[in-house]
Amino acid sequence: MYNNKLFSIKHTDKEVLRKWLHIMTLGRALDDRAPNYLRQAIGWSYHAPYAGHDGIQLAIGQIFDRNTDHLFPYYRDMLTSLSAGLTAEEIILNGISKATDVAGGGRHMSNHFAKPEWNIHSVSSATGNHTLHAVGVGRGMNRYKHIGVSISSQGESSVSEGYVYEAINGASNEKLPVIFVFQDNGYGISVPKKDQTANRKVVNNFSGFKNLKIFYCNGKDVFDSMNVMTEAKQWVVENQMPALVQANCVRIHSHSNSDKHELYRDEAERGYVADNDPLAKYRRLLTRYNRLSPEELQDIDKQVKDEVKDAHRKALAAPNPDPNSIFDFVSPEPYISTKYPNGTHNQQGEPKKLIEAINETLKAEFRHNPDTFLWGQDIANKDKGGIFNVSKGMQKEFGIERVFNAPIAEDYILGTANGMSRFNKKIRIVAEGAEFADYFWPAMEQFVECTHDYWRSNGKFVPNITVRLASGGYIGGGLYHSQNIEGALATLPGVRIVYPSFADDAAGLLRTSLRSPGFTLFCEPKALYNSVQAITSVPIDYEVPFGKALVRIEGTDLTVITYGNTTHMCIEAANKLKQENGNSIEVIDLRSLIPLDKETIIASIKKTGKALIVHEDKVFAGFGAEIAAIIANEAFEYLDAPVKRVGSTFTPVGFNRILEAAILPNTNKIEVAMIEVLKY
Amino acid sequence: MNKIGLFYSFNSNKTKKIAESISEGFDSDVIESINAETVTEEQFLAFENLILGVPTWFDGELPTYWDEFGPAIEDMNLKGKKIALFGLGNQVDYPENFQDALGIIAQLFESSGAIIVGLTSTKGYTFESSKAVRNNQFLGLAIDFETQATKNKERVKAWIEQLKKEFE
Ligand SMILES: Cc1cc2nc3c(=O)[nH]c(=O)nc-3n(C[C@H](O)[C@H](O)[C@H](O)COP(=O)(O)O)c2cc1C
Ligand SMILES: Cc1ncc(C[n+]2csc(CCOP(=O)(O)OP(=O)(O)O)c2C)c(N)n1
Repeated sequence: MYNNKLFSIKHTDKEVLRKWLHIMTLGRALDDRAPNYLRQAIGWSYHAPYAGHDGIQLAIGQIFDRNTDHLFPYYRDMLTSLSAGLTAEEIILNGISKATDVAGGGRHMSNHFAKPEWNIHSVSSATGNHTLHAVGVGRGMNRYKHIGVSISSQGESSVSEGYVYEAINGASNEKLPVIFVFQDNGYGISVPKKDQTANRKVVNNFSGFKNLKIFYCNGKDVFDSMNVMTEAKQWVVENQMPALVQANCVRIHSHSNSDKHELYRDEAERGYVADNDPLAKYRRLLTRYNRLSPEELQDIDKQVKDEVKDAHRKALAAPNPDPNSIFDFVSPEPYISTKYPNGTHNQQGEPKKLIEAINETLKAEFRHNPDTFLWGQDIANKDKGGIFNVSKGMQKEFGIERVFNAPIAEDYILGTANGMSRFNKKIRIVAEGAEFADYFWPAMEQFVECTHDYWRSNGKFVPNITVRLASGGYIGGGLYHSQNIEGALATLPGVRIVYPSFADDAAGLLRTSLRSPGFTLFCEPKALYNSVQAITSVPIDYEVPFGKALVRIEGTDLTVITYGNTTHMCIEAANKLKQENGNSIEVIDLRSLIPLDKETIIASIKKTGKALIVHEDKVFAGFGAEIAAIIANEAFEYLDAPVKRVGSTFTPVGFNRILEAAILPNTNKIEVAMIEVLKY
Repeated sequence: MNKIGLFYSFNSNKTKKIAESISEGFDSDVIESINAETVTEEQFLAFENLILGVPTWFDGELPTYWDEFGPAIEDMNLKGKKIALFGLGNQVDYPENFQDALGIIAQLFESSGAIIVGLTSTKGYTFESSKAVRNNQFLGLAIDFETQATKNKERVKAWIEQLKKEFE
């Protein structure tokens, strides 16, 4: 039970014992000192002390090998990070948010330690959602036949999050080399763990999951933690399946500096957790079994004191982040098209339906780049390719390793895409985000992560993902098969949003997405997949740059700004009014919402003096509101009429076709609005 | 009867109370109390009959003082020694690990050659699982201060009588 294990107080090499003590003493010195920085108003305003988790955190860091493994530490993992190789100075730089903080240059909250270049990933504060990223990395290891482990660490309470269950289910089903560590200190802030789940040990909730092994350890004990983590890693590598480690810890202090545990833990409890201090236990063991003398312990204390002093001095002298840098790393530079710099072509190429254009571009890009992957629901089954057959034939051609079905778990679909792209910068993932845009909401929290990653990591990591979403109505689909969600998602900096209306633009924008680093939302107007209106010739190598609108019809009397399904209605209405009344209406098809081609919009308004914004999404708080505001701000002097908008009513979309027609915009409603604006 | 060494943590709370009532159940010259927090191999080896107080902590763990002595226990030759264990646990709040520490430490002693005495019936307790149970018996006396305190007196008394025989 003790002495015949790989690591034991009696037999482990003295130098190893000394090294561990050094790391643990250093960690504790930093952990204990962190509140001083806040008291002196220097920083570290969020600090979640790790004291009481020392054994397991030492062990996680020690078994992590930066040459082969990936590590996702959570906000309490200071010792994990030190043990994995971060220096005291790097810890303090993160604590006090300096420009040279290796986790993210002071952009992310303090106590979120990371070093992306070592695969110690920057994780969200949305606690536990990096489990999905860890699984994604595991999938990368699996696909590229890489030997290593992906380690995710979190507290026991955050296991309650649905995404953690999705992550473990997926790792179990896909048999991925992931270690999930639950550091169990009995509390989620003030909430005792009995309010989270019925089992005392949350890990037991997973005992029915296949293809995984559950390990238990005393996270307060260095040797038990080292032995169990070593065994878990070995097991995962040998079996290529996930392991779960439940580590019993205590939380000696409050949850964080903004919590006061005196309010919910009595003196006796605060006493017994302090009595079970893992560092004190380790020191007692070292002297009791004559492995290090009291003098040797003192030497380490002294050495650590000097080290911390030195790190403190250096960190204080480090530069602060530059306020002018805030716009750096929102979204990476996209692929530049040399052949089609404006996203226009001379009508060469065969006429294609929108659905064919997407399908063929996907295939062409998958042939062009072997590091491309596609997954989603209903993606890969005989002749089926996605709910609308957009990716038909892909699995046949590229195989199940690259094109595969995902479980009905949208958060998992996107979260593991984010994770997998961490494995290797070359990877490009196409995620069919949901069967319908309407079902993308469960993935929202991972969507937010995808928009944050590049900025938060100060440019160190960006997920290379194209999310495809079959969007919009006009198919009699009702509330859950008609939604347009681009307006809601456009409020998040860090994503590009494109919404083509024609086959050629769909092909060109998709190619650009797949060749660009970064995160792109590709909205597909599903009503147009097979529509004659959307058919165009498509050059086989077509590319459309982001942020280039296209003037579909030139005109001088009114500027109409639109995208997606309504582009066709606007064109129809404009043509009609031209024929009937001789009106000269300019129709701008935005194609990209983010980045937005403001120049084309403003230039047109300068010419026409009037603006009508049309989209299928709701008028109220729809994306058109932003365009209207930009026009009011930047083109007010040129306006001769109020800026008008047409879109859906501020209601859900009804199922009965009579209701649907009353709610969604159509050519007639657009025509009426055009006439109204033209009157000025 | 050989002198009994009664080992428990002098800093504990409820364990200490039980230990004291056990101690009172024997003539003072046949039992000697020793603090488990600072126990040495010599102190341990000095007795043929031992009683140990072993509460279960933290969802099925040994209290740290016993855990820290574990590597020493494992390397001691305890052949022929009789060890009686009394455990403290809480079957309502910790039904999955009720009295686990009793089972963990019993196994450790057995692997070093000791004989575990003082087994008791699991009748009257309700829990889900326990490492302390073997063939429907606890590997010692199971005290539940939190939820069955009223039974402490009679349980301790009966156990002392049992030990007096088993230590012969
Ligand atoms: C944090 C904590 C964890 C516990 N875990 C268990 C357990 O897993 N199984 C059990 O039977 N009792 C458990 N108990 C109950 C204790 O064994 C019981 O309170 C005992 O009386 C403590 O004795 P002591 O204060 O003398 O150490 C636990 C108590 C605490 C405070
Ligand atoms: C998604 C999400 N919900 C809520 C919070 C607020 N929150 C921060 S820490 C925490 C408790 C987490 O407890 P646990 O997972 O047990 O880890 P511990 O802090 O105890 O180490 C909560 C609720 C959060 N950060 N993220």
